[in-house]
Amino acid sequence: MFEKLSEFLLPIAGKLNNNRYLTVLRDAFMLSFPLTIFGSIFVVLTNLPFLNKMMSDSAIKSFQSMFGIASSATMGIMSVFVVFGIGYYLSKSYDVEGIFGGAIALVSFLLLTPFVYQPDHGAAIQGVIPLDRLGAKGMFLGMITAFISAEIYRKIVQKNITIKMPPGVPPAVAKSFAALIPALITLTVFLLINVFVTQVFKTNMHDVIYKAVQAPLVGLGGGIIPTIIAIFFIQILWFFGLHGQIIINSVMDPIWNTLMIDNLNSYTAGKPVPHIISKTFIDIYTVGMGGTGMTLAVVLAILFFMKSKQLKQVGKIAIGPGIFNVNEPVIFGLPIVMNPLIIVPWILSPIVVTLVTYFAMASGIVPRPTGVTVPWTVPVFINGMMATNSFAGGLIQLVNMAIVFVIWFPFLKVIDRVNVKKEQSETENVA
Amino acid sequence: MKRILLACSAGMSTSLLVTKMEQYVTSIGDEAKIWAVGQDQAKAELKHADVVLIGPQMSFLKGELQKEANQYGIKVDVIDMMAYGMTDGKKAYEQALKLMGDQ
Repeated sequence: MFEKLSEFLLPIAGKLNNNRYLTVLRDAFMLSFPLTIFGSIFVVLTNLPFLNKMMSDSAIKSFQSMFGIASSATMGIMSVFVVFGIGYYLSKSYDVEGIFGGAIALVSFLLLTPFVYQPDHGAAIQGVIPLDRLGAKGMFLGMITAFISAEIYRKIVQKNITIKMPPGVPPAVAKSFAALIPALITLTVFLLINVFVTQVFKTNMHDVIYKAVQAPLVGLGGGIIPTIIAIFFIQILWFFGLHGQIIINSVMDPIWNTLMIDNLNSYTAGKPVPHIISKTFIDIYTVGMGGTGMTLAVVLAILFFMKSKQLKQVGKIAIGPGIFNVNEPVIFGLPIVMNPLIIVPWILSPIVVTLVTYFAMASGIVPRPTGVTVPWTVPVFINGMMATNSFAGGLIQLVNMAIVFVIWFPFLKVIDRVNVKKEQSETENVA
Repeated sequence: MKRILLACSAGMSTSLLVTKMEQYVTSIGDEAKIWAVGQDQAKAELKHADVVLIGPQMSFLKGELQKEANQYGIKVDVIDMMAYGMTDGKKAYEQALKLMGDQ
């Protein structure tokens, strides 16, 4: 039965993984990764929990504002990088000059952006772009605009509606002329959309897409039930030996990232953090405890309590990478893949642990993730403290590991007993 | 000099296997260049290799990579699951040799 299901899943996984738009989206988010790490480092440093014991409140405030630009210039305007990245990678995937695709996508997005700030009280300020339009709030409009503009741009280039320079003209000059007509047409389209929306409907595309698409999708994706469903599918895919995150996350990342930036904006503004489910939550509280399925506790259980040689061998190989949340040795060595004895703890424990973490955060026992990006390879406990800027954020991971341990233990014992018997009969046969 | 390319999602877990394979290669006195890349670089890198092995969690890449590899007459295969899990350098290296021998 497992083989049949696997044959069914393999082509679907391949299609999702190779889908042009999902691949481009994944690469575009990867582009912003080093930038958000840079921003996160300074958010963590300027919000260290013991700072208030070392300096006065006013000193902390000026310390934070001094370094605040590090996160404003990166995560604060993340949509800019994602838009550019989509434009670039999508054009490149069609073998069309990527850098112009990126630039055209970015300008198309800005053409739809109101250059005006409306404060809660008082008159609107002209000639400024509110930061959140380029950050969390503009994310979905940015993604949609980037995909459409890059598609228009590359179609025109591929139809060869370009100005061709005679040979002898420097390549850089020829390239910029080649991009001229496609750029003019693409940008005119978005300019006209903006004129139409602002003049006829007296609104702007930012507000339209935010209300009609982003708010409902992000609201849905930020709920606990869709998150549990996503985790369930990640575990099932891994059970069949397929990289679950690479498939599920490429669909969910836009939502999770938007929630994360929203959190960070509130956190750095000194306001309460609005969301629990976010990119940080998924990375640190579902993967950051030894890898997918939180298997560090499983490895420890094997090393300390199991007797069979085969399990011990897996444990020894898995503990090193496991500390850094790489757990392919457990998944393929134990193995977890297609192992009917393991499917129950494999799927049950992440769901239980995610619910426990979620409710610990919802009730306020553990602070919510602040929105800083913590690389998923940072070891357990440290990554939990960094993600929530609190000791409790690390402590809950230890509680979670204990839960995983308890759920897995009886199943591991059964496997261990079977293995020990097999190993005994093998040595007897040799003797 | 044999050139073996390993590919997985980010090139992280396969890099574990690279070290083990290199150790085995040195121990038997062979010479091989073995390196690991993420899936996005695999296509660009495979022309520098004699054989390509994919981490089992990315088995769905095989068809696409094989298509690309056919241009260079290179074989692509998924690493044996157990060999991968136990980071069995010997078994993975022998799998690579066998694939090259089939050419």
